[in-house]
Amino acid sequence: MVPFKLIWRNLLRHKLRVLLTAGSLTVAFFLLCVLQALVVSLDQGVKNASKKRLVVQSAVSLFVNLPASYQGKIETIEGVEESMKMTWFGGYYREPANMFAQFAIDADRMERIYSSVELVEGSWEEFKSSRMSCLVGKETAKKYGWSVGDRVPIVGMIYPRLDGSEWQFDIAGIYDASQEASIDDLTMYFHWEYLDEAMEAGAAGGADGIGVYSVLLSDGYSQAGVGALIDGLFENGPQRVQSTPEGEFNAQFVSMVGNVPFFVGTIGMGVLIAILLATLNTMLMSGREQTRDVGVLKALGFDGSAAFWLLLTQSLLLCGVGAGTGILLALGVEGPLQALLGSNFPGLRISSDVLAPAVLLAVAVALFAGLAPALRARRLTVIEALREEA
Amino acid sequence: MQESQHGVELRGVSRIYTRGGEGVKVFDDVDLSVNAGAFCALMGPSGSGKSTLLNLVGGLDRPDSGDVVVGDTFLSDLSESALAEWRSENVGFVFQGFNLVPVLTAFENVELPLLLTGLSKAERKEHAMHALELVDMGDRAKHRPGQLSGGQEQRVAIARAIASDPGVILADEPTGDLDFESACQVLDLMGRLHTELGKTILMVTHDPRAAERAERVIHLDKGRISESSEGTESADDGFREVKPREGEGA
Ligand SMILES: Nc1ncnc2c1ncn2[C@@H]1O[C@H](COP(=O)(O)OP(=O)(O)OP(=O)(O)O)[C@@H](O)[C@H]1O
Ligand SMILES: [Mg+2]
Repeated sequence: MVPFKLIWRNLLRHKLRVLLTAGSLTVAFFLLCVLQALVVSLDQGVKNASKKRLVVQSAVSLFVNLPASYQGKIETIEGVEESMKMTWFGGYYREPANMFAQFAIDADRMERIYSSVELVEGSWEEFKSSRMSCLVGKETAKKYGWSVGDRVPIVGMIYPRLDGSEWQFDIAGIYDASQEASIDDLTMYFHWEYLDEAMEAGAAGGADGIGVYSVLLSDGYSQAGVGALIDGLFENGPQRVQSTPEGEFNAQFVSMVGNVPFFVGTIGMGVLIAILLATLNTMLMSGREQTRDVGVLKALGFDGSAAFWLLLTQSLLLCGVGAGTGILLALGVEGPLQALLGSNFPGLRISSDVLAPAVLLAVAVALFAGLAPALRARRLTVIEALREEA
Repeated sequence: MQESQHGVELRGVSRIYTRGGEGVKVFDDVDLSVNAGAFCALMGPSGSGKSTLLNLVGGLDRPDSGDVVVGDTFLSDLSESALAEWRSENVGFVFQGFNLVPVLTAFENVELPLLLTGLSKAERKEHAMHALELVDMGDRAKHRPGQLSGGQEQRVAIARAIASDPGVILADEPTGDLDFESACQVLDLMGRLHTELGKTILMVTHDPRAAERAERVIHLDKGRISESSEGTESADDGFREVKPREGEGA
């Protein structure tokens, strides 16, 4: 094998050129990591969704509510373990700009249906014990400086209080849903009964009924099988329903974000191709400049594989340092990135789903750029190499 | 360092380059025999095949027919990688253009061929410094080629050629790019490699004064070999066709 200092010094033979190429690699891989993190964030709600849950909605539209009486009927079906009401509340805190998601739910059932949601403050008991109690995601709690025991006013846009006042909620718990793909850390959950009673009493307006039912399956039952049974049960009305595996249900929202994954993918591909060509160019130039060295090494008795690795290692080093710096940089800005984009891209992280493809890609770029000059170096005869003008 | 055991023999060697469908015969059934420890100058007009001959002897090129034998090794028997290994042990090259590796220091250049031996780091250092001192470049060990004059570079190249103590030194116009004084130093060195170290030396040169240092001058022209055995005191006569002779060679 050729000595490492020969590899290293040849790589640094043209410092500016190598610096610029490594810099481009850094920028490109930083961007690729961030873009990939965005896509992963959008994807994970779909991919990691529970295979044990179905979402039952109106067959007409997500914006049409189902009768509350359906819950009991759904639970008679074999394979349904339990279900939970979920109604979109659509409110904001003090000002319309402070919009975040709130759901009216079955407070006594959530703990079992979303069992991987963890309370970092407060307790399920406290949440269940009072009508006005709510759970708040840790990001939203952090954003508004809320903690357990606080009473927070929320203006209901879909369910306005008829006297014009705000709804009042008592925070009984702050949750962390990082283990639960279908729930972000931004949402508020409160007692459906609280909403229902206010409407019954004529204190609040809005549409009757339930937005969707989240259905937990018993062990050994499939989403498709139980979903078909539920859909069949209501086939003849009064209102038809559509049962969707939770992952597919989440995917609707991803596609509602428009073509983000497509755009991000296209930009990423463009960045990748540009950096591929830039690195290839650098390595081809390096390879040409080292033709004479290769000739000398071979005349001295170094074999083709030594010449091959002389060039390929330079490409691996160049990409390792350049791309590595970009990847580290992306890891470094993970925190600020979450602060900046976290509300649109829940769970935004430079995770192994981002790092693994980035590292593979860096190796691929190194091989792509290094293979041509390395193979040429391996093939080159001493006579050809030394005849070439340096 | 050991006296060379390496005679060089070409037996019925042909080398034909095909260029544009047309064959250019550089050598056609050529025989040549060089004793172990001999210092031969190779002369001849440009294109007469001097470099080709060195390349054949050094195992950088293969004949189209015939055998190249160095010591008791038939080079045609060796695979490409075996040939590379053989080269590292038996042949030192000195080129017209010096061909030092520019990013390595003089010392590191000389150490390069030693990396292919089983020597320890300390032994390599000892051998490389010894070779550098032999060419009087010991004090420039840490200089890069770009910081040396042409003559100094060529001396480092000679140190590199002898570092692993090969039996055969092949030099292709080693003084071609040098001024008079540097050329003299390099030729002195070549002479010492012959007299003091007993290397078998084949040296291509256009310079009759350089050829004078050799004990034997081989002339190449139009694919034929002829020679004058005592320097070049006469440019026109004293040549004779080389016939394969028994007894000469390894
Ligand atoms: N790779 C090649 N392909 C085709 N022809 C070649 C090749 N290498 C050498 N030749 C031809 O072989 C002949 C001998 O070349 P060689 O380089 O051995 O000559 P030379 O005596 O060393 O010349 P010079 O004094 O100019 O260095 C020349 O006619 C040259 O054009
Ligand atoms: Mg030549």
